[in-house]
Amino acid sequence: MIPRWFLPVGIITLCLALVPFAIVAKIRSTKSTETRPQIIFDMDQQPKFKAQAVNGLFADGRAMRPRVPGTIPRGELQEDDHLYRGKTGGEWATDFPMEVTSRMMQRGRERYDIFCLPCHGYTGDGNGIVSQRAESLREGIWIPPLSYHSDVIRSKPVGNLFNTISNGIRSMPAYGTQIGTEDRWAIVAYIRALQRSQNATIDDVPAAKQSKLR
Amino acid sequence: MGAETRNLSLRLSLCPYWHGWDPTAGEPQSPLIAEDCGLHRRYLRWRRVRIARPDRDSLNSMNERPHKEQFRFPRWTNTIRPHLGLGLTVAPLYLIALIYYAFNPTTTMSGYQPPQPVEYSHTLHAGELGIDCRYCHFTVENAATAAIPPTEVCMNCHASILTESTKLLPVRESHNSGMPIKWVRVHDLPDFVYFNHSAHVTRGIGCESCHGRIDHMDQVAQEQRLSMRWCLDCHREPENHLRPVDVVTTMGYAPAEDQIALGSRLRLENQINPSLDCSTCHR
Repeated sequence: MIPRWFLPVGIITLCLALVPFAIVAKIRSTKSTETRPQIIFDMDQQPKFKAQAVNGLFADGRAMRPRVPGTIPRGELQEDDHLYRGKTGGEWATDFPMEVTSRMMQRGRERYDIFCLPCHGYTGDGNGIVSQRAESLREGIWIPPLSYHSDVIRSKPVGNLFNTISNGIRSMPAYGTQIGTEDRWAIVAYIRALQRSQNATIDDVPAAKQSKLR
Repeated sequence: MGAETRNLSLRLSLCPYWHGWDPTAGEPQSPLIAEDCGLHRRYLRWRRVRIARPDRDSLNSMNERPHKEQFRFPRWTNTIRPHLGLGLTVAPLYLIALIYYAFNPTTTMSGYQPPQPVEYSHTLHAGELGIDCRYCHFTVENAATAAIPPTEVCMNCHASILTESTKLLPVRESHNSGMPIKWVRVHDLPDFVYFNHSAHVTRGIGCESCHGRIDHMDQVAQEQRLSMRWCLDCHREPENHLRPVDVVTTMGYAPAEDQIALGSRLRLENQINPSLDCSTCHR
């Protein structure tokens, strides 16, 4: 009764019905450089400027405007020489502007691992992975960081170290914009700890544990 | 209504195109009756409406063999007719399934990998060199946005590494001119959604949970679908993704214990109760 073409045609139709699914599966599994479809465009892209958006009104295209030179935002006047510049009475400060706590040391270690470790290395001897890599390029322009453990660096007051982090020195860039003020002091505290760790004597070890080391 | 009545009304209807009316003639004439107009009759036949002819009217009763211009389904279709209901059910289901699959956020949103103005490789910087995410995206713990780093951050190192590289030309140009590099945003939520990076990173949601293995991406692509349901899944059960805060930027983090056990413990310790209110994200 049913004509002979019915079954093949039916099978072919079923196979063709799978093609759209195959196309979608391909789209799902591949990367695309096309922007995604936005169904309600003016909801997805509202006429407002989010952080780091583009605004064609300004020559540099930044919607976020830089501070006007020579102005200080309310509440951001950095009066405290000790805290913000590491100086007391015109000289490099030899003490911290805040109490050094265990928590501050932890924070300093964390910040050190983020910002300093790539060049200065885990112990601060100046053989971080970025420094090693830069050396291996043999471009002749990379100046490897100095070890923290030389007498010159160890004798520097903390205010001087703070200033070096904030404003850079020789080929080291300034980190004042990337790292907050308190965090920079925390890093200084951690550097002091690193310096002590690499120049420790047996007397620094608690008497109870000294016997284990001998 | 009998066939004759219908045919009569058709026969007497006027040609809708006013064939037969001659506007040059002095006085108005009525157009042809539809049946007498050759063009109109062909049109009607094309529409499969038969114009009854008086000499055949007697043959055209409903009980007799139909005129051959009328289509009649072949007899074998009776065999499949009982199954048509199944087809009519399957067809909409097929369409629904296809539309769901094609317009699923995983299809439309994930896998977006726009070309960037600089061939920056996260595989090299975050992977091989192991530079912490926060070295460049340094606002992430304090601000809503994990800012795309300013050119100065690139120049921290590239002022004295690979200073002649052509790949870095746009970076040096930007540094010299003060014009920002036009990086293309990959993970871009709709503007009606508010998301705060610092709220998540400082509570132990790793970068990896939303951005994937960035350290394996030469060119960053969107891995997760970032749909509302995807957000809510984690807001309902954050223990599936929580990790200690000191390893938020670790890529490929594998907890020593069971993730659910760790997540539940961290959730309790840090009192993490993600809000499910509409206004948390749609503000």
